[in-house]
Amino acid sequence: MSVWVVCEHRNGALREVTYELLAHGAALCMGAVTAVILAGPGEGEALAALINGKAERTLLVEDPSMSAFNGTAQALALASLAEGAQEPPKAILGAHSAAGMDWAPTLAGKLSCPAVTDAVALSMEGDSLTATRVVYGGKLQSKIKLGGAKMVIATIRPGSLEDEPKAASVETSIEATSVSLPSELGKRFIAWVEEAAGDVDISQADILVSVGRGIQDKENIDVAEALAEALGATVSCSRPVVDMNWLPKERQVGISGKTVKPKVYIALGISGAFQHATAMKDSAMIIAVNKDPKAPIFQIAHYGIVGDLFKVAPALTAAVRAAKG
Amino acid sequence: MPKLSDIEGVTLAERFELAACLQCGRCTGGCPMSIRSPLNSRKFLYESLIREDGEALLEREEVWDCTSCRTCSSRCPRELDPAMVMRAVRTVKIEGGRIPKTLMDAMESSLKHGNPWGRSRMKRTAWAEGITVNSIEEDAESERLWFVGCTPAYDPRAMGMAKALARIFEVAGVDYTTLGSEEVCCGSEMLRAGEEGLFEELSEVNKENFAELEFAEVVATSPHCMNTFIADYGLDIPVTHYTQLLAALAAEGKLPFGGESEEVKVAFHDPCYLGKQNSIYDAPRNVLKAVPGVELVEFARSRERSLCCEGGGGRMWIEGMGEGERNAQIRVRDAIEMGVDVIATACPFCLLTLEDAVKTTGSEGKIRIFDIAEIVVNSIDGSERSE
Amino acid sequence: MKIAVFVKHVPDVAEADLEVAADGRTLKGAGLPFEMNEWDRFALEEAVLIKDEVGGDLTAFLIGDEAAEESLRRCLAVGADRAVRLWDEALSGANPFEIAAAMRGAVGDDNYDLILCGAQSSDYGYGMGGPLLAEALGINSVALVNKMKVEGSKVLVTRELEGGWGEEVEVNLPAVISIQTGINEPRYVSILGIKKARKKPIDVLDGAGVDLSSEGGKLVVESLQAPPLGEGAEFLEGSPEEVAERCLALLKEAGGVL
Repeated sequence: MSVWVVCEHRNGALREVTYELLAHGAALCMGAVTAVILAGPGEGEALAALINGKAERTLLVEDPSMSAFNGTAQALALASLAEGAQEPPKAILGAHSAAGMDWAPTLAGKLSCPAVTDAVALSMEGDSLTATRVVYGGKLQSKIKLGGAKMVIATIRPGSLEDEPKAASVETSIEATSVSLPSELGKRFIAWVEEAAGDVDISQADILVSVGRGIQDKENIDVAEALAEALGATVSCSRPVVDMNWLPKERQVGISGKTVKPKVYIALGISGAFQHATAMKDSAMIIAVNKDPKAPIFQIAHYGIVGDLFKVAPALTAAVRAAKG
Repeated sequence: MPKLSDIEGVTLAERFELAACLQCGRCTGGCPMSIRSPLNSRKFLYESLIREDGEALLEREEVWDCTSCRTCSSRCPRELDPAMVMRAVRTVKIEGGRIPKTLMDAMESSLKHGNPWGRSRMKRTAWAEGITVNSIEEDAESERLWFVGCTPAYDPRAMGMAKALARIFEVAGVDYTTLGSEEVCCGSEMLRAGEEGLFEELSEVNKENFAELEFAEVVATSPHCMNTFIADYGLDIPVTHYTQLLAALAAEGKLPFGGESEEVKVAFHDPCYLGKQNSIYDAPRNVLKAVPGVELVEFARSRERSLCCEGGGGRMWIEGMGEGERNAQIRVRDAIEMGVDVIATACPFCLLTLEDAVKTTGSEGKIRIFDIAEIVVNSIDGSERSE
Repeated sequence: MKIAVFVKHVPDVAEADLEVAADGRTLKGAGLPFEMNEWDRFALEEAVLIKDEVGGDLTAFLIGDEAAEESLRRCLAVGADRAVRLWDEALSGANPFEIAAAMRGAVGDDNYDLILCGAQSSDYGYGMGGPLLAEALGINSVALVNKMKVEGSKVLVTRELEGGWGEEVEVNLPAVISIQTGINEPRYVSILGIKKARKKPIDVLDGAGVDLSSEGGKLVVESLQAPPLGEGAEFLEGSPEEVAERCLALLKEAGGVL
């Protein structure tokens, strides 16, 4: 019983989530993981080298149509590989990422096999894969069995693996193969689009470092900016900060500003007054720092730190920088 | 985008008889927003008269700055209604779908959840937990309905008003009941923001409840609820503001104020919807004067000249185009200059905007904002009320 | 251009205490306010904008019971020319494959140049409907689009990637485009507008013509339950450095963050 992991890569590097997938996969099938690399001509070797030791086998396909991500090409290629394989995989795993949202359901349609997306946990019971998903805004958890089909597909929410991936010691064999893709895919990659500088839409940020009156002065906002930079986050704020012209209006989270639902909301010196709280309470994870243990923000935060933000924020910035290396 | 003349098939000028306008500018002169916003009532009337189709008015985003305080209409020497012209323009913009996003959220929330704050209906009575509050949901019957209101029910600061009133009613033995989680938004702000259809939906629910439960009178926490019940609901029962009830109780000696008290200098900020629009100026003052230790002083701009806090007309959900200091900040600074310890309010929007202004002017510790009910209950229970 | 948009009617679960139905597998929807799925609002707005720009007609589709018609009315209120609802008891508690089969059944023999749908729905969030429908129709799909422009028989889209990046892709029509939030600013729909829309007809289809036999549909929901989470803020104690380390662990847990 083998598991294939569809590797995600960009600009010659494997995306972080690929390592998580390999670990998930290995756990499901006791190590018999095949890492599948779909890349443009000449790109595969370097990527395969990065896989080395983390999978039993690397299946490498290079094709001009896959120099940049192309969901159609990827789904066709995977379908061809899976159906033509000597030992078809029991499960094809991918990331529930921008790419995964594109190719995985399409592949499921082509293979006509059971599939789930955005699983936070996977387990094998007999010959059935069971996936755990978080639904209804995170309020409920759903367990789904992917019927005893020969092949199933599952994409995994990045970051949901609890344990660190184990360092494998196996020498990964590389099998290069090719697929036959139609010359006209009906879909063509044109260009990358870089994040626009200067035009801030805080409602699109994954992480927000948000400041309130507790920041006390305009100059002190660099404490938040340093943390934001370390995290790759965006700085936002509550209304009083805008009123005092310490930050522009576009940064305001609140009833008369923007409503945000980032993955992480770090509230620094924000009391959590209702007009603010109501506009960020649906954030997936709220970490609040405030001197006042009774600050209302702690009623809606997931994690609270009663303390001085001028000590906690720099400490967190240092920790993040150290972790990122 | 629909046209202005789509309202009832006539132009704005025809509908509101604007040909009588003198262009004297008294409307704009009294408008609390004209200090800091491009909003110009006189211009609105001018443009609806002289432009061929008047449609350019629809592009004036400053129409959302209006607080619906109605100072303009009250000052017009020809008894025209510029406030309604503002609302009419808003109504057309609503039909066109392009309105401030924050207002959109408040409106959709009102429809979905029965309150503009995005809060669940199920949490409407959370404020009443652990205290004595009569509710039809607990079979408390009465001919007098206390309409709590969305903001006192849901906002953590404004909740102080609701809790204080519940306590006063308990202590003074007032006969009343509330609708509990059956209460839905009065619709006042939605109507003033131009959403007539939404107002109709909301008011139908309330009107049905009032009729079914056979109330003989309604007393409201918020002047906004009170005002819309009086002006827009067409009820045939009396509607009063809680300060009127408290004033009567005080006069009858039914409010057991504490004996000892420290001297406190209080200025009362007249809410537009209580004062200007319903001429209720003395009841709140009479309540304050009855509280031991309160020294009541007057703002220069008081009573019908009270400086609108910018909370009405849907403004609690609209940022507005205004530049510079908000009116509430001016109010706070003025009060501090007057040596006032407390600004007393009688409206949840005034309470919130003034509290905000205390923070944004960096005036914490220099002045406090309290609702009249909170001041009364402080004196009765003798405990220090804090946020 | 023949345009279609698929919308879904979902419960608003903010602040609600959710209850699982007696079967242990589905949500008790009673008492919850329902609304159009947020992603579909953006898809609907985009469909109307495209119709206004390139001309054509717009059909709004919804898979749901009669109570779900509110969301179709919204589509009619903003400018859809036709509204179609498909429902069958067999679709109660359906999984994404079954829903996609229903979507395919609803389309029937119509040929749309462009089909829009939200990238995912707020209830289950599979994000599979659009791509599965495309496969069933034998046309292309592209997911998570936050910008699009129709250019004759092609459409130029930007797919939203992590970290604020984007991927510009050209797709031949016909295609199914799944729409990410933020692509536009959905207009407000007034109550008056909804009321006027109530006078317009909605075509109602039943399950005949819906083929639920796909292998992919062999998903079995075993359980729906509350996740193991604590209530209110968990306070982190210790020195700033200790607290920082704990935060770091939490951030990694949040997923896709570090």
